[in-house]
Amino acid sequence: MAESKQGKRMPAERLLDDDVLLEELRKGSPEAVEALFDRFHGKIYGLAMSILKNESDAEEATQDVFLTVFQKAHTFKGNSALYSWIYRICVNACLMRLRGKRRQETVSIEEFMPVFTEDGMHTSPVEDWSKEVERKMLDKELGRVIKKFTDELSEKYRVVFVLSDVEGMSNEETAQILGLTVPAVKSRLHRARLFLREQLSRYLQEGKTA
Amino acid sequence: MNCKELVYLLGEYLDGSMEEHLRKDLDGHIAMCDSCTNFLNTYDTTRIICRQVQLSEIPEEFRERLRTFVVAKAKEHHQGIEKYRRMAAEEQRRQVEELLRAFREGRLSSSLSLLFDTHRDRCETCGEFLRAQNGGAVPETIPRDIEEHLAEFLEAIPAGEEPFRT
Ligand SMILES: [Zn+2]
Ligand SMILES: [Zn+2]
Repeated sequence: MAESKQGKRMPAERLLDDDVLLEELRKGSPEAVEALFDRFHGKIYGLAMSILKNESDAEEATQDVFLTVFQKAHTFKGNSALYSWIYRICVNACLMRLRGKRRQETVSIEEFMPVFTEDGMHTSPVEDWSKEVERKMLDKELGRVIKKFTDELSEKYRVVFVLSDVEGMSNEETAQILGLTVPAVKSRLHRARLFLREQLSRYLQEGKTA
Repeated sequence: MNCKELVYLLGEYLDGSMEEHLRKDLDGHIAMCDSCTNFLNTYDTTRIICRQVQLSEIPEEFRERLRTFVVAKAKEHHQGIEKYRRMAAEEQRRQVEELLRAFREGRLSSSLSLLFDTHRDRCETCGEFLRAQNGGAVPETIPRDIEEHLAEFLEAIPAGEEPFRT
């Protein structure tokens, strides 16, 4: 029956508990390795892709992350969540890889920061396109464009943006993963959003004039 | 409060971590500034719509290649550890056997001798076993828990002191 068919899945459910999973990993349980892989490979690869922007680099970084997790499984103390420990390993693995490479040219974020007059007013009136975008929320083209804009962020801002706004981590978690202070996370996130807001603004404007 | 200051503070305004008097200032400015109202709306929408960004999905062929790699490495890693554990266990057993032989033959260093004597009188696990050793009985096997206790003695020796005379 359904019960016996699912019999094999029982241990996997037990392995959803971080402590159990780690304990089993330390013992070298093959099911635990599979469970760890199933649970994290997609996230690790996605995060690595968003930092490295290259498929084969992201694949290698993902390999590195799993190797590090096996080697350090016995040192993980459990004072942070398992996923945030793994994300941290992933970010570090990616940054190591970036260090070895010539930085790709990224768009200067400064060119997309809002500009003000000397007495702190907007230099030109700001349009409200929020309703328009909300209507297009599920539009494939818009999704593609936003992805392109986020890829243009330099990694300093992109990593923070991905962890906080895409992955939905709290500022504290992001700070912990990246080894930054919370104010530093907030300020980078704010600048990333300002950049994306301006990019979207220009994109929508062009759509109207074209 | 001007537009520039408002834009600078938007993140905190939206995440709710802003102090009440500052928030009132911002509300006041927004109420009379169209550009800032629009800026706030579009900033907030940006934040919301960007949550829909999907992380790149792993291509299927990568996934299977990666799975094979990860499973193999995990196995390799574990076998390495197991080998090390076995070697360490054998080493400990050998050391404890030597230690016991030295105990039977009265060759222990003075500090170890003292440790053994006090332990024999106080430890329920080892007491009887050690008294038999005093009588010269060579044990066939050393029970696991007794081995652990005796192995601890080796760690307690002051640096530079030999545990027993050879
Ligand atoms: Zn204003
Ligand atoms: Zn004892």
